[in-house]
Amino acid sequence: MPPTHAVEATGLVKTYPGGRGRPDVRALDGLTLTVPAGTVHGLLGPNGAGKSTTTRVLTTLSRASAGEARVAGHDVVRHADQVRRSIGYVSQGTGADVLLTPRENLAMTARLRGASRSASLDRAAELLDRFGLADAADRRTGVLSGGMRRKLDVALGLVDAPQVLFLDEPTTGLDPEARASMWAEIRRLAGEDALTVVLTTHYLEEADRLADGLSIIDRGRVVAAGSPDELKAAFAGDTLTVDLVEPDADLVRSVAAGIAGLGDVVVHVEGPAGRLVARTPDGPAVVGPTIAALQAAGVRHGAVGVSRPTLDDVYLRHAGRSWTSAESAPAVETAAEVAR
Amino acid sequence: MSALTQTGTPTGRLTGGRASWAMQTAEVCRRWTVDLVRQPWGLGVSVIQPVIWIVLFGNVFQSIATVPGFGPGDYLTFLVPGILMMTVLYSGAWAGTGFIEDIRSGVMDRLLSSPVSRSSLVAGQLAQQLLMAAVQGVIVLGIGWLAGARYDGGVLGLVVALVASLLLAAAFCSLSAAVALLARDQTALIGISTIVVLPATFLSTALMPVALLPSWVESVARYNPLTWATEIGRTAMSTDVDWGLVATRGALLTVLAALVAAWSVAAMRTYQKSL
Repeated sequence: MPPTHAVEATGLVKTYPGGRGRPDVRALDGLTLTVPAGTVHGLLGPNGAGKSTTTRVLTTLSRASAGEARVAGHDVVRHADQVRRSIGYVSQGTGADVLLTPRENLAMTARLRGASRSASLDRAAELLDRFGLADAADRRTGVLSGGMRRKLDVALGLVDAPQVLFLDEPTTGLDPEARASMWAEIRRLAGEDALTVVLTTHYLEEADRLADGLSIIDRGRVVAAGSPDELKAAFAGDTLTVDLVEPDADLVRSVAAGIAGLGDVVVHVEGPAGRLVARTPDGPAVVGPTIAALQAAGVRHGAVGVSRPTLDDVYLRHAGRSWTSAESAPAVETAAEVAR
Repeated sequence: MSALTQTGTPTGRLTGGRASWAMQTAEVCRRWTVDLVRQPWGLGVSVIQPVIWIVLFGNVFQSIATVPGFGPGDYLTFLVPGILMMTVLYSGAWAGTGFIEDIRSGVMDRLLSSPVSRSSLVAGQLAQQLLMAAVQGVIVLGIGWLAGARYDGGVLGLVVALVASLLLAAAFCSLSAAVALLARDQTALIGISTIVVLPATFLSTALMPVALLPSWVESVARYNPLTWATEIGRTAMSTDVDWGLVATRGALLTVLAALVAAWSVAAMRTYQKSL
C-alpha cells in the first residue's frame, strides 16, 4: 500500500556556517510541506528562497539541522537508503558524465542500481526513445544542446522507475523552444500513475502551467500553499497596476487611499521607477478615477494596466515584496553556496 | 507491474534497486576508464612523462655511476625502479581531479542521492587509477629496457616491482582523493604535487643511492614510502633478491595504503555531511 503522501516535511531548519566570523546562514527556517502522492507539486520562490535546499534535504543529500521529513513513506535520515531507492533527482547542474554518451550514462545508472547488463541497455534504449534522444544516443553528452542534455538529466532520474521525481529548476537556462518541450515532457510524466513530481522553479508561468499544488517559499519558509487556482482565487476581482516615475511613495499611498474601490495597496520603488499595485473588485471602473487622482496630486505615471490575478500577485501578498525585487536580492542560498 | 505505459515509460523497478558492492565498484571503475581513454591528452602525457624522465635523468646523472660508493652496475638499470615509482607518484597526485569535476558538475549530487555505496564510489575510482598505474608501469619497464637497462631478476622480479608500485599508487591516489573531497579545489591537488610529491622524490633513494645521500637526507629517506617501494623494486629486479627487505617494505606499504584508503572513504562521508 503506497503512502498517500509522497512528501511530508515538518519544521525543517537548515543552517550553514557563515564562515570567517560571519553569522550562520539560515537557508531553511521551519519549512513544513506536504505533497500528495501522484501529483505535480511546485516549490515556487525567487533565487535564494530555500527551494534547492529543501530538495537537497528531501533527496538525502543534505541533512536538516532540525525537523523531520519522510519521502515515499521513509524517513530521510533513518532510512536514507530506502528513500534513495524510491526517488530520482535531477539537480540544477548536469547529472550526466559529459565524456560518456547518453546511452552509456543511462546504462551506467541502471547498472549502479542493480540491473543486469542486458536489462540496463534495454532500459537505456526505452528512455532514449521516450525522450526523443535516440538520434543522439551515441554521441558524447558534452556536445549535445542544452535542451537535449536537460532531457537526458530527467531520463537519468527515471531509470529506476522512482515513486518521487525531484526536478530542481528543470528549465533554467533553456531557450523558449526547449522549455516548451520540457514542459510537455513534465506534463506527460504527470499523467502517469504513481509518479509524484516535486519541481522547484522561479518561473511563475512554469508553476502555473505544470503544478497541481504549489508551495510558495520565501526566506526558508512556506508562506502560502494550495493549487494555483486556489491561490489566485483568494484574490477576487482584478489587479490594477500603475507604473510610476520618480514617485514619492508616501504621497502615492495617501492618494490611493482616497480612491474608492482600491484595496491592498502596495507601492514599491526601485531606483527612479516605481509601481503601484492594488486590488479592486472592478478594474476597468477604477482606471479613470485613479489616473485623475494621481494627476491631480502631481504624480508622474506611465502605463496603467488591469489584469486578472497572477501568481505574482499571490507572491507579492505573501512574501511582502515583488518577485522582481526578491530576485534582485538573492541573499540566502548564494551565501550558503559560498559557505559550502 | 513491469509493463510499459502507453508513452513507453518504464514502470518496473530494476531488480529491486540493489546492486552488489562489487558490481557498483566495477561499474564506477569502468566509467572512469572510459573517461580516461576519451581524454587522449591526459593519457598521452602520462605515458610521455616517464619517457622524458628516463632520457633526462639517465643522461644527466649518468656519471653518478662512476662516483666511488655507487657500487656495481650502470646508472640506468639503477634508475628504472626509481622512475617506475616516481611515475605512479606523480600520476597519483592528480587522482582526485575526477571527484572535484563531479562535485562541480552535479554528477556527485546525482550519485550521492542514489543507492550507491559511498565506499564503492571511492574504491571504483581507485581501481581505475591502479589499472592505469599498472599500464604505466609496464610502459616504464619497456622503455627502460629499450634504453639499455637490464632486469636480472626475471619476470618474477618485474611482477614484484609492479606490485610494489601499485601499493605506492594506492596510498598516493587515496591521499589525492581524500584531499580533493575535503578541499574540493583543484589548487589543493597542485599543493600535493609540489609540497609532498616533489620533496618526496629527492628525499628518497629513487634517483641517488643511499650511500651518496647526505646523512640527514638518508635518515628522512628511510621513512619515505617512495624509498620503500624503490628498495623493493631494486632488489626484486636484481640477481640477488633480498626477500626480507621485500617482505618488510611490502608490509609497510600495505599498511600505509590501507590507512590512506580508509581515510579517503571517510573523506567521502565527510563531504556528504558538509552538504
